[in-house]
Amino acid sequence: MVEIDPTEYEIAELGPKIKDIDDADELREMLDLEEGGEDRVPVKTLIEDRIEKVEDEGDGEVDPETVDLASLTVADVANMVRDIDDAEVLRDLLEREQDGEDRKTAKSQIESRIESVEGSDEEAGEVEYVPPEEKYPELDHPTNDKQWVEGTVGAEYRDMWVYCETQAGDLVDVSKEMLGKARDLMDTYNADYDEEERVVAVLIGDDASDHVDDVIAYGADLVIYHEDDRLERFRHQPYTEIFCDMARAGGDLAAEGREEVDWKDYHEPRYTVFPATNNGRDLSALVQGELDSGLASDCSGLYIENAMISNPAKVGTAGDKKEFERVLHMKRPDFSGFEYSTILCIDKPNRDFHPQGASVIPGSFEIPDPDFEREAEVVDYEMELDDDWFQVEVEEFDRLSGGVDLTGNDVVVAVGRGIGDDPTKGIELALDLVDAFDEADLGLSRGVITSSYSFDGHVEQYVTEERQIGESGQEVEPDVYIAAGISGAIQHKVGCDESDTIIAVNTDPDADIRDFSDYLIEGDLFEVLPRLTEAVEAGDLGAVMGEVSDD
Amino acid sequence: MRTVVLTKGVPDFREGQVSFDEEGHLERGKTPTVMNPNDKHALRAAFQTKVRNGGQVSLMSMGPPGYEEVLQEGMRDVYADDLYLLSDREMGAADTWATAMTVASGIQKLDEEPDLVFAGFKTADGETGHTGPQTCWCLDWPIITHVLSLDIDEEERTVRAKRLVDGDISEIETVEAPMPCFIVADPEFEPTYRRASHRLKHKDLREETKERAEDYEDHLTVWDHTDLNLDPDYIGLDGSPTIVAGVDPIPKAPSEREATVIDAGADEGMEQVLDELTPYAAGD
Repeated sequence: MVEIDPTEYEIAELGPKIKDIDDADELREMLDLEEGGEDRVPVKTLIEDRIEKVEDEGDGEVDPETVDLASLTVADVANMVRDIDDAEVLRDLLEREQDGEDRKTAKSQIESRIESVEGSDEEAGEVEYVPPEEKYPELDHPTNDKQWVEGTVGAEYRDMWVYCETQAGDLVDVSKEMLGKARDLMDTYNADYDEEERVVAVLIGDDASDHVDDVIAYGADLVIYHEDDRLERFRHQPYTEIFCDMARAGGDLAAEGREEVDWKDYHEPRYTVFPATNNGRDLSALVQGELDSGLASDCSGLYIENAMISNPAKVGTAGDKKEFERVLHMKRPDFSGFEYSTILCIDKPNRDFHPQGASVIPGSFEIPDPDFEREAEVVDYEMELDDDWFQVEVEEFDRLSGGVDLTGNDVVVAVGRGIGDDPTKGIELALDLVDAFDEADLGLSRGVITSSYSFDGHVEQYVTEERQIGESGQEVEPDVYIAAGISGAIQHKVGCDESDTIIAVNTDPDADIRDFSDYLIEGDLFEVLPRLTEAVEAGDLGAVMGEVSDD
Repeated sequence: MRTVVLTKGVPDFREGQVSFDEEGHLERGKTPTVMNPNDKHALRAAFQTKVRNGGQVSLMSMGPPGYEEVLQEGMRDVYADDLYLLSDREMGAADTWATAMTVASGIQKLDEEPDLVFAGFKTADGETGHTGPQTCWCLDWPIITHVLSLDIDEEERTVRAKRLVDGDISEIETVEAPMPCFIVADPEFEPTYRRASHRLKHKDLREETKERAEDYEDHLTVWDHTDLNLDPDYIGLDGSPTIVAGVDPIPKAPSEREATVIDAGADEGMEQVLDELTPYAAGD
């Protein structure tokens, strides 16, 4: 018996309810009811999608000893073998794959798991260290003597450090989002690796201590702060020096005068996370540089797992593979929104690349519910600040009123790379349409922002990142969203999906945006936009286009 | 005044220029290279300095030999006096930290220490806005990032700049720093030319540079890792802390709405659309 008879609900109500049903049979019964009753296509699609999803999730539970490999995609095989630790089971799988579909990619997934489970034999051995002056006699000053090479090998790294940015006396939202994400990551990490590593919040500023309770409530186990009146505004050098001084306190390799700390006994953090704001991104680059390590910027996804690496720069010799443990996988939208890259920061032989650093796009993760009952250790970190670090002086600062806020409009007219044939004209036409409405503004796809179009002066002022709609820009929900010449990348969808009505204008009737718009006007925006403008203006005069609906 | 401008060639992401393989991956080899659009802001800032303060402007890039053309284009844009290309197989596939070490070594090798180095913010090909700050960290200079406008006092040897701070609110700071100084220009950078003499000079420089860019090879210096005295283990792929573990085409948005396709030429469908729009039309 089903709990929900779909025929008794509107589709809008069904969406959220159906998400809670995990039983495929129950869903099938619902589907039958709908077919026998109202038989609405969107409702059926909704239920069918859910059935597919529920059954997909079930795939994780297949028994590797009996599963029919032919029924699995290579990706499924990869997911399945990740959880198998028994080399015998894996060998059996490999044989069955060879006898069956014999897919090269599937076999290599299984083989690399076998290698990873069995470990040492085939892994890269220790790489012999040859001093650079012997290896490269033509160079007279070995690079590893330069001040920017830290040169630690095999040191100890622990914990995830989160730089919590503040602004105008408040913790910025992305700091809370990062703490929530760090909490989740380290809870899973500690369970997976049987560790007790912490989320460490770093606060720097003239009011750092004011935010201690907040960062604990949002997930920190340890708070380290440094407060000084000279740190009222973010300054590149002192902030970097302070963060790195904290990161290098304690442990076997502690800097002079920093040996005696009781809150940290390792060399440097295992992971560092920064906000991808103007100042946060700068700080991330400088801190990671000073600590002689790497980072991925503007990440929208983070997870920790082991990684099998064959890159000779990391493994030491070509052709070998080596499993690196506890690797932070940093996923970022790349190439102007065409691709996601997953970036890893990995030690190489004879040179540690830790901490593994990331900066995080604001809004990528949820702000967790604060828990003001949480307890944490708090360290008031004392250090002398060198006057030389303050060579860049902040003389004054003003808050910018507004900037461009696209939310709150009735209509947003957005244009994408479809304006490429005549970018200036494209913006002009979009602005004309904007003007035809009472409350409307202009939005841009990421493609326009990152393009190398040249715009004439009078429209150039409109082509700013502030108008970008999407994952790394603004999210708008107007009554009507017009997307002209936008093909419809998933990041763009995030920025407009809550709009009541989405009208696309595209020369390609099968453009991806079709799947998330209500109307797709098949045509060239250079012709369609002026027509719309004219019609909207005329419609207001109440004559030309005839009847106007009043809903 | 001696200034250096850093630039980079990137794939041209304009519609129609981008090429993908069967699995949906971007084919860089088939996508033409152009100057990083955001470097144009750095060029504008350096160019303002050249017009207002004079002196020698050098343009520097790290990349394959094909980048010479990007430098030639940049020479015209910034009226550069000379060009430097750091180019070597050992430098290939560098991430930001390995790039920063290489570029910093290039700046240090110049015959005189520059007063200012300009860099753009992010590159369009997935690089990150880190190379500028990290190069500066290697040089151990003061840095001003996200610069919107710039004034140089040659006598006092100081730089005053407005810079953009974002977060939950946006702020503009006015900062002052001694030279030498490293400047990262914001995409919103606005050059200003207050005097008529600046505008005249602008014109003269343009003529002069046009000629120079024709024979850009005569003004180009190419340095490899031995010139820069850099151990190959510390540059390029070998010296990079990070690697790209995987590239996934961004998945198609899951279908939630299904658009009614309307022929732009047909009145019937267009009226449906207009019904959606007219309630929001501007009143008089």
